[in-house]
Amino acid sequence: MGKTTKSPFSSQRRRFIKAAGATALTLGLAGCASDDADSGGESTPSESGGGDTTGESTQTEGTTTGSSQSSVDEVVIGSNHPLSGSLAATGVGMSNAIKLAAMRKNEEGGIESLGGAQVKVIEGDNQGAQELGGQVSEELLSEGAHVLTGCYSSPVTTAATQVAERQGVPFVISIAAADNILEGRGFDYIYRPQPPARRLASDYADLVPTVIRDNGGTVETAGLFYINNSYGQAIRDSLREFLPQQNVEIVAETALEFGASNANTQVSRLRSADPDTVIATTYVNGGVLLAQAMQDQSYRPSYLSACASATFTDDRSVRDIGDFANGVMDNNYALNPTIDKTAEVRSQFTDNYDQEFSASVGMAYTAGEVIIQAIENAASVDPDDINGALKELRYEDHISAMGPISFNDTGENENALAPVNQVQDLSVKVVYPQEYAEAQPQL
Amino acid sequence: MRLVSSVALSLPLQGGGLGRFVDPFVQFVIDVVNMEAVLLQLLVFGLLLGGVYALTALGLTMIFGVMDVINFAHGAFLVVGMYTVWLASTTVGLSPFLGIPLAAVVLFVLGVVVHVLTVEPIIEAPQQNQLIATLGVLFIVQSGIEILFSPDPQQVSLSLGSIELGGVFVPRGQLYALLIALGTMLAVRALLNRTDLGRRIRGTANNREGARYVGINVPRINYLTFGIGAALAGIAGGSIALFQRFDPFTGETYLINAFVIVILGGLGSFPGAFVGGLIIGLIQVFGGYYLPGTTAQVLIFLLFIGTLLVKPEGLFGGAGA
Repeated sequence: MGKTTKSPFSSQRRRFIKAAGATALTLGLAGCASDDADSGGESTPSESGGGDTTGESTQTEGTTTGSSQSSVDEVVIGSNHPLSGSLAATGVGMSNAIKLAAMRKNEEGGIESLGGAQVKVIEGDNQGAQELGGQVSEELLSEGAHVLTGCYSSPVTTAATQVAERQGVPFVISIAAADNILEGRGFDYIYRPQPPARRLASDYADLVPTVIRDNGGTVETAGLFYINNSYGQAIRDSLREFLPQQNVEIVAETALEFGASNANTQVSRLRSADPDTVIATTYVNGGVLLAQAMQDQSYRPSYLSACASATFTDDRSVRDIGDFANGVMDNNYALNPTIDKTAEVRSQFTDNYDQEFSASVGMAYTAGEVIIQAIENAASVDPDDINGALKELRYEDHISAMGPISFNDTGENENALAPVNQVQDLSVKVVYPQEYAEAQPQL
Repeated sequence: MRLVSSVALSLPLQGGGLGRFVDPFVQFVIDVVNMEAVLLQLLVFGLLLGGVYALTALGLTMIFGVMDVINFAHGAFLVVGMYTVWLASTTVGLSPFLGIPLAAVVLFVLGVVVHVLTVEPIIEAPQQNQLIATLGVLFIVQSGIEILFSPDPQQVSLSLGSIELGGVFVPRGQLYALLIALGTMLAVRALLNRTDLGRRIRGTANNREGARYVGINVPRINYLTFGIGAALAGIAGGSIALFQRFDPFTGETYLINAFVIVILGGLGSFPGAFVGGLIIGLIQVFGGYYLPGTTAQVLIFLLFIGTLLVKPEGLFGGAGA
């Protein structure tokens, strides 16, 4: 603006810049923390048909009875998810999925072993911010939650589970992939039905090259395109370990910064390396940017694939990308398309919440059912009783494409699986392994 | 013809020690010597990205330049611009290109309203009060958009594709945004330098007390400036909507970059904003290509800190707009 003389305020400018810088840094750091949603999770919202995603209560609704089972008429699940902020679209859907699991149980007559006690879900909004993970857990517990679930983002989950463990309350992770949430922390109250990052990557290496080769394709080289945070790095590190075991050499790696406006540079790098397959590990938006940049540069590898990336298992993103998405294979946790219950739950969910029932939302629904089954088995709302039931749990009647859910000593699901999905005719289909496949791979 | 052999840099993250940071620069020099075609591609991408960044910073630098107000609501204004273009496109079928001037008008009005309601009453208060007030506006607008349109990402239904020139790809959406950035900057310069209003704005920017003494209606200049700054955010947001999906929180990322650009280029300087945007864009693109992970961000913030230490007024600080 062409200042030729000093503004009367200029003496304060340095202080002003400091304040702005500090606030900007705070915003930036909050953004970094909040954007670290996980595997198959996504940082940018993905689904819903524009329904009332914020219309649901975003705060807790009250408390329940004491822990004596004879007097229990209500059991409370505390749902710790991002209900506002950049993770909210999926976070709201996940929390709705927990509520649907409770609603279905209540419609069946409630917790039978507790004389028909109703299941109630109270919600806390962690905003996708790591610093709120523990705080929301504390609030939910103080408001009467008997068991907790969350949080969609690994850093938030790390904080939230710490509180649950300290207070001796079971916590069933809805989605959070980082290995170190459970690894090496000596937890006794925390459980994870979904595959952790290392398992997601090993499943990719085991399954996707096999699918390609079994269908007459060749895959000897790979380029990694990953979101540069703990989730993306964890998958990348594991792919580095597992891909060579399947005779796939990594010839390029390129990282996407969270919040990037495009992936032009990354695609240029991949084009230069020209691998047989590009493996994307990103949130929904990252995969959309990848597809857009590839189209802008008229580039597509022989096999475009993804590992634990939400983009190509998300119906809305697939529609947004268009035909270019067809053929993409993504190994991630998935809904089991071979059983009727999946269609029934999906229909009920879309009817009640006007949102799409993605794999991420479905995984949260499964976590809700795991909790409810554990309470049923425990016949108690005492946290230690529920915890004991979780340790002994073997839950088969779920809608995720994996075997019976049962937890090992560290709280990981022994039968967690990340099947191979493929986009066919702009629809996401499970194609491998055969027991969950609803379509044949198309190469 | 390749003059120098390439170093093995296909996997920079796997290298250890100092080499992981040195090798990328060696590779860059080798590519320059060999005149690798990818350099031209990266240059194009850097200029396109920088142009978008510059556009997002123009409104911010104008408001600070005149009013000494750091407008944190700028990120929200960008998002309102995006949603305006999207809404006009999806509801009444208005071309996104026509939606951009509409966004400018909407944002001008919104900017004036925000200024009158939140900034003007505390314009003489300590400056951190205005910063906090505009931060509050950011949260209110973000939440309002989330409530109205859900947190789901939206995109303008526009497939612009890219232009290929000798093996170099130029994405049309970003090219148009760059052209809009250039046009907007020239238009605002003309407004400031060739109109009576512009002279009064510049006079107020130079010396607010002095402007009062010579009869300039400073409060009026304030709200007009705030409105114009918001309108610039509307143009920027509308342009971004041409090529990127967005949600209620997309503005935060651009806001952070805009602050870095404005301080790098010089608070209140339009050329500074433009050059700062290009510098950041080029570092991001070349750094993203050659450096491991997202190390380019480290370079950007080192540059930011270095600027504050060595030339706190910014590259164009004190220069004419």
